[in-house]
Amino acid sequence: MDFELSDEQKMLADAAQRYVREECTLEAHRAAAATPEGFSRDHWNQFAEMGWLALAIPEDAGGLGGSPVDMAVLMEQLGEGLVVEPIVDSTVLCGTLLAKSDNAGLRAKLLEGIATGECIVTLAHIEGDGRSEYETQVGATATRAGEGWTLSGTKQRVFHGQTADYWLVTARMEGGVGLFAVARDATGVTVDTHRMIDGTQASDLSFNGTALGADALVLAPGATQAALEEALDRANLATTAAAIGSMEAVMAITAEYIKTRVQYGKPLSTFQALQHRMAEMFVETDQAHSILYRSLSIALSGSAADLGKAVSAAKALVTQACQFVTAQGIQLHGGIGCTEEYVIGHHYKAMIVYEKRYGDASFHLARSAR
Amino acid sequence: MNLQFSAQHEAFREEVRAFLREHLTEEIVRRTHVGMHPPCEDERRWWNRVLGEKGWSAPQWPKEYGGPGWDPICQHIFEYECRAAGAPELRWQGLRLIGPVIYTFATPEQKARYLPEILMGSHMWAQGFSEPGAGSDLASLKTTAVLDGDHYVLNGQKLWTSELQYCERGFFLVRTDSTVKPQKGISMIVIDDMNAPGITTRLTTLINGAEATGEVFLDNVRVPKENLIGLPNTGWDQAKFLLTNERTSSAEIYKALVDLHRIHDIASHERKNGKPLLEDPEFSSRLARITVEVQALEWSVLRVLCNAPSRHSVDARASVLKIRGSELQQKIAELAVDALGQRSLRLYLREEGFAETGANPLWPGYVPGITGDLMYTRAYTIFGGAKEVQKNIIAKMAFGL
Repeated sequence: MDFELSDEQKMLADAAQRYVREECTLEAHRAAAATPEGFSRDHWNQFAEMGWLALAIPEDAGGLGGSPVDMAVLMEQLGEGLVVEPIVDSTVLCGTLLAKSDNAGLRAKLLEGIATGECIVTLAHIEGDGRSEYETQVGATATRAGEGWTLSGTKQRVFHGQTADYWLVTARMEGGVGLFAVARDATGVTVDTHRMIDGTQASDLSFNGTALGADALVLAPGATQAALEEALDRANLATTAAAIGSMEAVMAITAEYIKTRVQYGKPLSTFQALQHRMAEMFVETDQAHSILYRSLSIALSGSAADLGKAVSAAKALVTQACQFVTAQGIQLHGGIGCTEEYVIGHHYKAMIVYEKRYGDASFHLARSAR
Repeated sequence: MNLQFSAQHEAFREEVRAFLREHLTEEIVRRTHVGMHPPCEDERRWWNRVLGEKGWSAPQWPKEYGGPGWDPICQHIFEYECRAAGAPELRWQGLRLIGPVIYTFATPEQKARYLPEILMGSHMWAQGFSEPGAGSDLASLKTTAVLDGDHYVLNGQKLWTSELQYCERGFFLVRTDSTVKPQKGISMIVIDDMNAPGITTRLTTLINGAEATGEVFLDNVRVPKENLIGLPNTGWDQAKFLLTNERTSSAEIYKALVDLHRIHDIASHERKNGKPLLEDPEFSSRLARITVEVQALEWSVLRVLCNAPSRHSVDARASVLKIRGSELQQKIAELAVDALGQRSLRLYLREEGFAETGANPLWPGYVPGITGDLMYTRAYTIFGGAKEVQKNIIAKMAFGL
């Protein structure tokens, strides 16, 4: 066992740390939240230039073929900078799904587009009562029409749905549930977009007899369910790393703040009650790091079933840790921590988004024990 | 000991319910229950006037100053029924904070001038206490008031003034003597017109997107010297009175009780594993745990309201209400967000929340306001005396530590 980062991983972490320090300011974050897309195209283009959008994409499709560890190294840094760009949705979640496709032409085209950043792809899967991508019944249908299919149904909360160039849409077809690539400019689609608490947007998509070509099938029934679970697990690994970066940022900012904030004639940092609170935040963050390592270990060597349980264990623990650390970050700041003009509250919101996307804490705790 | 509501109290409850049914429309109730920050200002002023005309706007005030003369149990019933029925919540600053200070410390002229308008809600009050350097350590405040002829001249900066944009009047803590111990040189003064020359304001946006508070900059603001409350340099006593007069409000028990109903509603509509969320063992166990804690808090409120005997100081027990009440607000809001699941991620700004009727089945009417409230509840353990300060009070008052 060797916990040291490789030279490449060190370079990746350093580059990301530098980028976050210089470019991912609170002002940039707030400005991105005010744009129609809800994220920064400047950041996106820079991510592409740095090769970060290619990191999770297989080498045979023009990517860098990075491991989940590489991705976690990157995401921890980006989490410190409150990155809201669709890097996990497009490159990890949809990248994993596309990498498993037998549809060589489509696979090559979309993965190359994802890796260069020219193409943003997002998953359109949740329906009806589905509380997350893991827990949804697919009711949308793809019926044969000549060489292709006709798609009908409603998908909810498609993150970055209005921005994505392609949606990967699950639909019931002959033999079970399959996965289709649908271009955003397809006909017969209504897009109803809503702003989320972190400034990003999500859309409800309604397909009314959308015509799909013969080359639209990404995954056939039989392959789709397992691929979805693995892709979602990998996405959770990446966002868990980002959450840990966020916790590190909160601790550093809070420690600095209480050293300078004076009340009752002395810095807040001299009050033992607050020192102990910081220590508790440290314990939580340390344990979060550890369970991420554990899940990465299993991601590199375990079976898909092991991966699912390990990822869920990590998310069950890290959501709780992150909730505590971000909430106490606000508490130790006092009123200023509750304002939109200060960074801590944005980490708190990022925590809520992390917890609620790709299965919430309660789902993952139950799944970890299955 | 008799731990029952009497028949008279139950009759009173029915009287309150009938009054609420008669006056509240479905639209008002919907907008109140959605819980956006700040609440709808017009409706809240209207409701203050309606209650004022009935003589019910200040349940806790003595009868001679316009209170209804209710016993503590009637106050408790009234507050619960108003909240449960979806009546707009009246602002605290006039009715719960400065009003009692005025009837306790002010001159007959000040009482005659301010109390009637507070009762009717025609004027709203800005609270000018905290400053950039004076949060928990309020006594270190620096805003000055210097006597110049018949006026005090105010200079300084205040912040966390709730719902500043709606305030006509203000009550401010100012330093009138800087040569003595900080607590001994503070006065409380009334600003009659928050648009007076020398006052500039800036709203503060909170993390839920709400402009629920603001900053006040005072630049040579001239205030008639008769606007000082009580004697000069006695403001600290008035401030302490103001912060402890109503010991039970900070428990937020009525909001807690009604929020539990709301969670029930959400969890019976939302589904998990093909069944109502309410039947999910983990969720129902969390809800049960919080419900038990709210039940205990309600009786803590009743004990303090009724001056129940206790071997421990009421100051320590009041801090219990604040600590447990604020923590429960956060836990309840977290549970409500968890009940919504991923739908909780949608941002509803104030006007969107008021306008949302729930016509789109993908976004039921119970969604707006929940997550904004969670973000707002982060402040509950901070404002009005941070949780850490409340713990210091308990350590001191209960154990002499």
